[in-house]
Amino acid sequence: MLSYIIRRVLMAIPLLLGITIVSFAIMKLAPGDPASLMMDPTISPEDKARFMERYGLNDPVHIQYLKWLGAMLQGDFGTSLIRKGVPVMEMIMNRMPNTILLMVVSTLLALLISIPFGIISATRPYSKLDYTVTVTSFLGVATPNFFLGLILIMVFAVQNNWFPTGGVATLNAPFSLWDRIHHLIMPAFVLAAADMAGLTRYTRSSMMEVIKQDYMRTARAKGFKENKVIYKHGLRNGLIPVITIFGLMIPSFIGGAVIVEKIFTWPGIGLLFVDSAFQRDYPVLMGLTVISAVFVVIGNLIADILYAIFDPRIEY
Amino acid sequence: MKLRKASWLLISLTLILSIFLTACTGNQADDPKETPGDDGKKEEEQATGPQQGGDLIIGSTGAPTVFNPLYSTDTSSSDIEGFIFDSLVSSDTEFNPTMSMAESIDISEDGLTFTAKLKQGIKWHDGEEFTADDVVFTFSIPKDPDYNGERGSAFEAMESVKKIDDYTVEFKLSKKDASFYPVSLSYYILPEHILKGVPVAELGEHEFNTKSPIGTGPFKFVEWKDGEYVKVEAFDDYFQGRPYLDTLTYKIVPDMDAMIAQIQAGDIHFAAGVPGTDIETVKSFPGVKVESGLGLSYTYLGYNQKNELFKDKKVRQAITHAIDREAIVSSVMNGDGKVAHVPESPLSFAYNEDVPKFEFDVEKAKSLLAEAGWKDSDGDGILDKDGKKFSFTVKTNQGNKVREDIVVVLQEQLKEVGIEAKPEIVEWSAFIEQISAPNWNYDALVLGWSLSTFPDQYDIFHTSQMEAGLNFVWYSNPEADKLMEEAKQILDQDEYKAAYADIYKMLAEDQPYTFLYYPNVHRVMPANLEGYVFHAKDDFYDISKWWLKQ
Repeated sequence: MLSYIIRRVLMAIPLLLGITIVSFAIMKLAPGDPASLMMDPTISPEDKARFMERYGLNDPVHIQYLKWLGAMLQGDFGTSLIRKGVPVMEMIMNRMPNTILLMVVSTLLALLISIPFGIISATRPYSKLDYTVTVTSFLGVATPNFFLGLILIMVFAVQNNWFPTGGVATLNAPFSLWDRIHHLIMPAFVLAAADMAGLTRYTRSSMMEVIKQDYMRTARAKGFKENKVIYKHGLRNGLIPVITIFGLMIPSFIGGAVIVEKIFTWPGIGLLFVDSAFQRDYPVLMGLTVISAVFVVIGNLIADILYAIFDPRIEY
Repeated sequence: MKLRKASWLLISLTLILSIFLTACTGNQADDPKETPGDDGKKEEEQATGPQQGGDLIIGSTGAPTVFNPLYSTDTSSSDIEGFIFDSLVSSDTEFNPTMSMAESIDISEDGLTFTAKLKQGIKWHDGEEFTADDVVFTFSIPKDPDYNGERGSAFEAMESVKKIDDYTVEFKLSKKDASFYPVSLSYYILPEHILKGVPVAELGEHEFNTKSPIGTGPFKFVEWKDGEYVKVEAFDDYFQGRPYLDTLTYKIVPDMDAMIAQIQAGDIHFAAGVPGTDIETVKSFPGVKVESGLGLSYTYLGYNQKNELFKDKKVRQAITHAIDREAIVSSVMNGDGKVAHVPESPLSFAYNEDVPKFEFDVEKAKSLLAEAGWKDSDGDGILDKDGKKFSFTVKTNQGNKVREDIVVVLQEQLKEVGIEAKPEIVEWSAFIEQISAPNWNYDALVLGWSLSTFPDQYDIFHTSQMEAGLNFVWYSNPEADKLMEEAKQILDQDEYKAAYADIYKMLAEDQPYTFLYYPNVHRVMPANLEGYVFHAKDDFYDISKWWLKQ
């Protein structure tokens, strides 16, 4: 197992390197540069040229990349071009807790709601409850999260004032746990919604497979109670494919966070990514790319490890 | 069966509980929102004068970058700098320079020496006294060879700055510069006692700029939460009297839609730059009022004069004749603006109405185009000349609904005179890179200029600014060049106005741009905000005098 993990981590290195090369190239190929954003008659062209020169933005792309890579390998992600002098890492670390909080909560929400629903619908297929869950999850899959987010803001924040329109906490108010949770509910729900639907469907079909298995019948024949049969014998096997799917969903959490953070003014790395892209803040964009790539790799690794834990047939 | 019951019970309980909890907090959250000024210090008596207290939450779609006027280049940063810092001179609602931290400013006969007398007793936020040393220190920075900010050109004419005594500073200029007084002297002053030890090369990235800016302005810096807000609080010892508002919170929102939703929900109290197309919606929100006025800017259709199509002045005039600008203002903008004829706002002292005008006249446009040799020889409805069709693209930036609509309207209107104008909408940074030096990759464009309170067209229309500067339409008129150069040396406002009257006549005649319209600006604020005075350029003009009626 340990050697498998080490092998996977080593394999991730060329992958990450490839990601940085491609991202850097795309970023530089995109038209626009940070100096052109200073279109102000009171800033002279000479001053703009000096800005480009000072940050090495006139060098050939491969030189810029190698310089960046060299510094990055020494742990230096550079400083923001827009927020002059602020280290990229500091900016990302300021935002990271917000994104992690949002991701963890929405993940838990997705799991806590979808797995029980999936099981319930699998144990009572084609019942009213099953149909309700099915229809709801299809709606969940079909609704884009920006749309769901806007609807929720309109109904629950603007019209009814039950929830805040955005942000992580009430401005000018002392810290309170409830206030933080209150702000977290809508964005976490929206981020979870699409995945909830998928997870429910996967849990349902996987559990339905499992329920038909011989060992389930054997367990029942031995006189175990139905609950014990399903949750002890069935669930462990039924969840294996769900774990795979879940692992594959982790990258989409990061992607989804970009949109959800923007809609809910949630100051996480997703929002930072969008802003930096519009401002052509290259060092910040690269820092974020590396970090999200690492996240994705780790996410997949965790999924594989969980796989091994849940499925005794799998050995590495 | 048991499981089913238990799970239903659990689900319904959760739902009931969450509705109950949210309903409770929903009510609590309501109170402060509806009366943004209510901070418990409600005065019982029916006060008629200004009342102290209150927090104002200001919404902004841009995030600040750095709080140091010599290094910042974005509007959000300068908004906040305006709260924290102060300058020697500022400007009133008619853009006349007024004394701020300066007591008086004397100009020598030759116009090359400016002597500033400073007001006494002004305090920095940390209690130190403001003196001539601070002024000398601040103005020396952009002249330092190690200075690496982008504001150098504002101080080009300044040769030296020296302290005469604690409250007198003398500026020497190497050449006459009409903008020195209204522009250069309006830069915010930095504290010498804090920053004197910092090498100039490191000043732009010093933590003073982001973590602990200290100024002499009406508000003290409290906190900057990246991506969330910047908070400032009233400075008790402000030399023009403590501001009435206790705190300002400058809240950052991702876009205008979020801003409008937050205004409606009461999460934002004040917002500038709300588009005219949304203003009717905003006016219907409770507890909100909107103040509008002509902004200090104009929007234009610019022609790339490197392109053969637009080299002839007659062609440019013909296109202006073919465009119904009144219709654009009334239909695309719901009447929220005014048709423009010159690159200067009617609000400016230098504005000149008396210029050649090219009103909407399709026949005139057609005959001018015919004079220029354009006719429809193959009968396809599009003019041609020497086998080349009169067809071009009009670029504009994405995200500005009015401009996006205008390029489509232009396509329709120009079709009437046999010109094909194809709209193209490009993301902002890419757009700027494409249109400006050294690419000039466009035929025509729709864009706007925000104007300085001090009129100067040199950077935009002078021949010398074609290669690298902002004259990206490649307009060149030696006569206008000469006048613009001469105007730079004129210190008297009336003479300056006369010189610019001639410049505007020439620019209007040549039509390097079709000047489309002057837009209005709209500011949303709490219905009980008093003391607000409209200033076309400054969203937060005299903010220390604003107060909330309780």
